[in-house]
Amino acid sequence: MYRFIVRRLASGVVLIAILTTLTFFLLYLSGGDIARRIVGEGATEEAVQAKAHELGLDRSVWSQFTDWLSHAVSGDLGSSWFNGQPVSDAISSRLSVTLSLVIGATLLTAVLATVLGVVAATRGGWVDRVVQFLGVLGHAIPNFLIAIGLVSLLAVQWHWFDATGYTEFADSPSRWLSSITLPVLALVTGAVSSVAQQVRGAVIDALRQDYVRTLRSRGLSETRVIYRHVLRNAAGPALSYLGVQFVGLIGGAVIIEQIFAIPGLGQVAVGATSQGDIPLVMGLVMVTAVIVVVLNLLVDLAQGWLNPKVRHA
Amino acid sequence: MVPIRTAVLAASTLALALAMTSCSSGTESSSGGQNSNGTLTLGSVVLPSSYAADAAVWGNQSVYEQAVYDTLVRETPDLKIEPSLATSWSYNADKTVLTMKLRTDVKFSDGTAFNADAAAQNLTRFKNGTSSLRNYLSQMTKAEAVDAATLRITLSEPNPALLQYLSQAAGLQQSPKSFDAPDEATNPVGSGPYILDTSKTVVGSKYVYKKNPDYWAPQDQHYNDLVINVYQTTPTQVNAVRGGQVNGLALIDNSAVDQLKSAGYDIENWELNVVGLLLLDRDGKLTPAMKDVRVRQAINYAIDRDAMLKGAGQGMGTTTTQFFKPSDTASYDKSLDSKYPYDPDKAKQLLQEAGYGNGFSVTMPQLATGSTAQYDLVKQYLGDVGINVKFVNEPANNFLADVSGAKFSAVSALPLQADPTAWQVANFKLLPDATWNPFHTADPEVESLAKTIQTGSSTEAAAASKELNRYIVDQAWFAPWYRPLQSFVVDSNTKVTPQQDNAYPYLWNIEPKS
Repeated sequence: MYRFIVRRLASGVVLIAILTTLTFFLLYLSGGDIARRIVGEGATEEAVQAKAHELGLDRSVWSQFTDWLSHAVSGDLGSSWFNGQPVSDAISSRLSVTLSLVIGATLLTAVLATVLGVVAATRGGWVDRVVQFLGVLGHAIPNFLIAIGLVSLLAVQWHWFDATGYTEFADSPSRWLSSITLPVLALVTGAVSSVAQQVRGAVIDALRQDYVRTLRSRGLSETRVIYRHVLRNAAGPALSYLGVQFVGLIGGAVIIEQIFAIPGLGQVAVGATSQGDIPLVMGLVMVTAVIVVVLNLLVDLAQGWLNPKVRHA
Repeated sequence: MVPIRTAVLAASTLALALAMTSCSSGTESSSGGQNSNGTLTLGSVVLPSSYAADAAVWGNQSVYEQAVYDTLVRETPDLKIEPSLATSWSYNADKTVLTMKLRTDVKFSDGTAFNADAAAQNLTRFKNGTSSLRNYLSQMTKAEAVDAATLRITLSEPNPALLQYLSQAAGLQQSPKSFDAPDEATNPVGSGPYILDTSKTVVGSKYVYKKNPDYWAPQDQHYNDLVINVYQTTPTQVNAVRGGQVNGLALIDNSAVDQLKSAGYDIENWELNVVGLLLLDRDGKLTPAMKDVRVRQAINYAIDRDAMLKGAGQGMGTTTTQFFKPSDTASYDKSLDSKYPYDPDKAKQLLQEAGYGNGFSVTMPQLATGSTAQYDLVKQYLGDVGINVKFVNEPANNFLADVSGAKFSAVSALPLQADPTAWQVANFKLLPDATWNPFHTADPEVESLAKTIQTGSSTEAAAASKELNRYIVDQAWFAPWYRPLQSFVVDSNTKVTPQQDNAYPYLWNIEPKS
């Protein structure tokens, strides 16, 4: 198990290195006169040159990259070029917001998809057809459209939830839930439909196995067979897919945060990228990559727990 | 039996939990933007680029700056200058030395006393700083403290707008102890009515302030707390207003005005900008045809301004052919709102006379965001008289740099503020070094009139202002279409008085309804 974790972490470090390197050079390719943007259009050429020198923009791209990398490795992600805020502060103040959305959406996806998938697989008939139809529908409608519909009806018309913004859990748990409910619902729609299909397929496969027939013949209740045995065997593929969905949800949160004016990573990512705030973008990419690596590790560990054969694979 | 009941039960429990939390928070949600608890929540389309006073840019960012900083003087909504940190002031005979008496009971939020030395340091720093408005103080040669309560500003030549500038970005007062602090851009130290709560602020999205307990003008602190949220799209703005999450915000455009009015919200309107074509290449460096005044006049005649206002401006505004607005009584001339009626035949005739009967081509930048209506209409109207307009996609980040870098002969539909006085119009749009004169067109008549406005008596300056307006319209330096209405929406608990020369009302003019 120890070697398994080390191997996964090592491949994660390689992934992060490749991602950050590519991002750094792509940002420079997209170019523009960043120093001019920072000091303003009316600034003198001397002021622009001075700012470029201060930020090291007058050095070679490779030199700038190695400089950034050496600081990043020691935990110093630098400061925003545009407002001077330390990158670590800018990210930490927003990370909990995005994670609230994405983890909330993932948990809700897991619950709803499991329920729908199991029901569709076990009931069959019209129930299965309805679940499959809802799956296609959920997949076909973009989540930003769902967000707009939800906010118009449930927030603007009925005032059940907050239409925009975010309240910290520590400030008010009920307002926190009110502020994240609609964004989470908008995010989960597509994910639920996909994962439910995975669960449905995996449960149907598991139900055809000999051990299920054996369990039933021993007089176990159907509920026990499904939830204690079938689901455990069917959970592997669904869990892997849920992990992929988690990463997709981080991407989806960028759009959803814009619609709900939620101060998460997505909002700052859009602003930083369009401005060319390279230290901030690099910090965001790094944090996102770390989240993905850790998540994949957790998924692998969970797979191992569910199915001991995986640990020895 | 298949466990459908278990599944349905689980789903129902989840739904019920959500519904219950939504109900429990529903009441709070509907009062989220109300000011019953003494909190004013505002929406802004921009975020503060920097809180450092020497980088201040005013306009839509003024609300952030006014929350934490005071200015030396203040401006009323109808543009009269009144005391603030300076209680009185006077000029010498040739208007090159301004002496100001300052308050002695003001402290910055770090405990440092405000005095004339701090004011002088702030002025000098602003002049040498990174603000795009630092040329407000370009004539200032020295700012010095005569004593703790007396500030003397010496100018190389008169600046008729100096007091107004000192009521805006150039007059902001930051604690000198915080100059060049590492967190200066995000942690302001001023003497203003509120103090930024950095622990609750999310830079770029949400700015939270608490009342300054030591503020010298408590009558202007209408609320205990202030929150400014950033909303950068019209749908998000509308949702925030209709969801009851803000007390007021400046709308990005007027597309949602009818919707918000019908939902019962109050909307205050005022005219601030002029939208039209900036005919920048008046020397014909990129597009030789545009050097001929008849060509520029033809462009003016070719545009149907009524249709433009309806098609691109939601019908909210006043058509015009001048760059001055009625609040500038010295310069504004009502007859110049209709100097160039829509007359394509006249446009063709002028082009013929100028030797461009077969037309010519001109390239203009087009932003990818927003409506394309204005670009389509310009292409159509100018195309109708033989002028082939080629729009090229321009990244938003490069737009201003490329326009001010003289890369385009003309620019369409860029809303430019109609400055409150002719002096400011001359400085920002007309004189050879003006920001919006990127080809540095030099016209002796313009420079002579600007000099009279700068140094003449008030009567001479007023006459020169009107003459400058008429001359610019005759010479067709621009092809203005309309003055769009700015819109600020407030809920039923809040009243606002717009600032005639600013995109955002001044903070102390946003109050609870009694």
